[in-house]
Amino acid sequence: MGGFASDTFLAALLFGAVTAAIPLLLAGLGEQMSEKAGVLNIGIEGMMITGAYLGFVSAYYSGSFWLGFLTGAAGGVAVAALMALLCVRIGLNQIVIGIALTLGLEGLTALLHHFQFSRSYPRLPAAEVTPIPLLADIPVLGSALFRHHLIVYLAVAMVVVMIWVYRRTQFGINLQAAGDKPAALDVAGIDVIRTRTAAVLFTGGMAGLGGAYLANVGAGLFIPFITNGAGFLGIVLAMLARGQPVWVLVGALVFGGCLSMTTAAQVAGVNIPTDVIQMLPFLAVMAMLVLFGRRASLPAALGIPYERGAR
Amino acid sequence: MTVLIKRSMLAALAATFMAGSAIAAEVKSIAILTPQEGTDFGWNQQGIDAAKAAAKAAGIEVTVASGLGYGDVRPTLREIAADGASLIIAHASGYATSAPEIAEETQVPVAIVDSPKALKAGLVADYTLSGHEGAYLAGRVAAKMSRSKHVGIVVSGEPPSWNSQSAGFAQGVKAENPDVKITYAVIGPAAYSDAAGGRRVTESVIGAGADIIFGQGNGSSFGMLQAVETSKAADGGKVLFIDVIGDKTSVGKGHLLSSVVWDITPVYSAMIKDLKDGTFGTKRYAISLADNSVKLLKTDQIPDNVWGEAQKIREQMISGEIKLQPVFEATAVRALMTNVSAAAAK
Repeated sequence: MGGFASDTFLAALLFGAVTAAIPLLLAGLGEQMSEKAGVLNIGIEGMMITGAYLGFVSAYYSGSFWLGFLTGAAGGVAVAALMALLCVRIGLNQIVIGIALTLGLEGLTALLHHFQFSRSYPRLPAAEVTPIPLLADIPVLGSALFRHHLIVYLAVAMVVVMIWVYRRTQFGINLQAAGDKPAALDVAGIDVIRTRTAAVLFTGGMAGLGGAYLANVGAGLFIPFITNGAGFLGIVLAMLARGQPVWVLVGALVFGGCLSMTTAAQVAGVNIPTDVIQMLPFLAVMAMLVLFGRRASLPAALGIPYERGAR
Repeated sequence: MTVLIKRSMLAALAATFMAGSAIAAEVKSIAILTPQEGTDFGWNQQGIDAAKAAAKAAGIEVTVASGLGYGDVRPTLREIAADGASLIIAHASGYATSAPEIAEETQVPVAIVDSPKALKAGLVADYTLSGHEGAYLAGRVAAKMSRSKHVGIVVSGEPPSWNSQSAGFAQGVKAENPDVKITYAVIGPAAYSDAAGGRRVTESVIGAGADIIFGQGNGSSFGMLQAVETSKAADGGKVLFIDVIGDKTSVGKGHLLSSVVWDITPVYSAMIKDLKDGTFGTKRYAISLADNSVKLLKTDQIPDNVWGEAQKIREQMISGEIKLQPVFEATAVRALMTNVSAAAAK
């Protein structure tokens, strides 16, 4: 039975919130590592759109969502390698290169789509879900939160992995030093360029995976500009999170939840202008910024290319 | 004194005649600018196809600049004006500020959308089109065919052209059956390429009980289509989709119920004629059921009896028996969704 506040409707809303949050979570976690290492990765939107395009093409022709995710992540890594070469190795301006990559890749993927799919607009079947035993049977919440594609659970698990990496591994400590005091890291005998390059490549992989998820699971298709600014939201979430992965997860869920709230308000016939309702997710992010972002401390060397011996 | 008055009147008449001659122009070519490629089965494709058809009919050249996005198109407008276009069609509401500016600068006439107050004789014409008549028919068909007696409207923005169709659809539904519930949802501010958002919102509307979706979305409409293809209605049956502007039959996978199809060719042909006659920029242009520039798409999903009834309603609309006023304001559209008066369209 349908209707506002019905189980089906509430489950669809919550399911949609999670689906909207996952690309932001993946992109935000990736961007967070890049920023920790001192690289402001503005090109993440370009990495996402590349991942979305390649992920869709791969899944469409192979019939495998997993191959799509893998290809999408690889595409993101490829773009990130270019970013690392230009910004980390050569030391060009990170913002300029990031914007150029984003604009260029949006145009390129739109062009490729035009030649390949603009007459057919192929779409993928619904993604297979992996229900979590027992939890998936809970009314409303079960079908909304515990009946997703396996990649969703892996994305959430990545939060724990990232916490472990940052707190318990030498690589995590190196990342922090590469962003705060790269010269000190260099003196300690750790290669700053290599550390930053690894961080940027990881960002590309996560952003590409996020793009592939957005296209293959979120939309089930690829169209030009499909990421619609999700990469930039990932940057915002990474900055708000103050280096803590769990806050990226919270921010992504708040944003996804607010998107679903806007739909709920409209379906409920809330008689206020649509524009006001549509502001809700962005107001929530700004509120988070005011409440939690004041004490945010970005790495001291963020955005500054490292050059040994330079003052 | 009388002689003076006569001479003044003659001078005024001569000036008027000369001014008219100055505005009338030889039309050698037209150009159209679109934000997306002309392969979207919708707004961009219909605009480009219509420009080509109108130019061919007039025996003139046409230049197509597509995929320009929603940013600043002033450089492109200047370039096209410099290339000698006699008319530039700026086929996006986002171009309605820059195009008149370039028209003033280059004195090349432009046609813009969603700015009906921007008319300027000889220089700026508006073609804010409304397929509300077709949407009304679609609403009547949807109300006849909905099993759950609940239909949805999903839009990726609220430009005037879409508002009028949303309102027309709602009025059609209520005129056919006042008991049918209408759920209205906007994906996001200018979410024209947000296919994932289109799918997410449409799935929620289906979850609320709708089994027929009237979608307006440009690129995001493919996300809506994906949602109706991969979701079940509350009764476990098929969810159907009604599209606008273009014909997605070839990509519809059996879920396309109909489409409010536009043919903009008569509008562009009228613009070319007005340019030649020196009356460009003095009136607005419209599409209608009467000349088939708006029509409802027949698909296999519509039973013959329902289609026959829809055609009778179409005749009543053309004859004036059913009168329908377009509603362009978003707030007015929203009000209609919760309190549509069936009598308003009867």
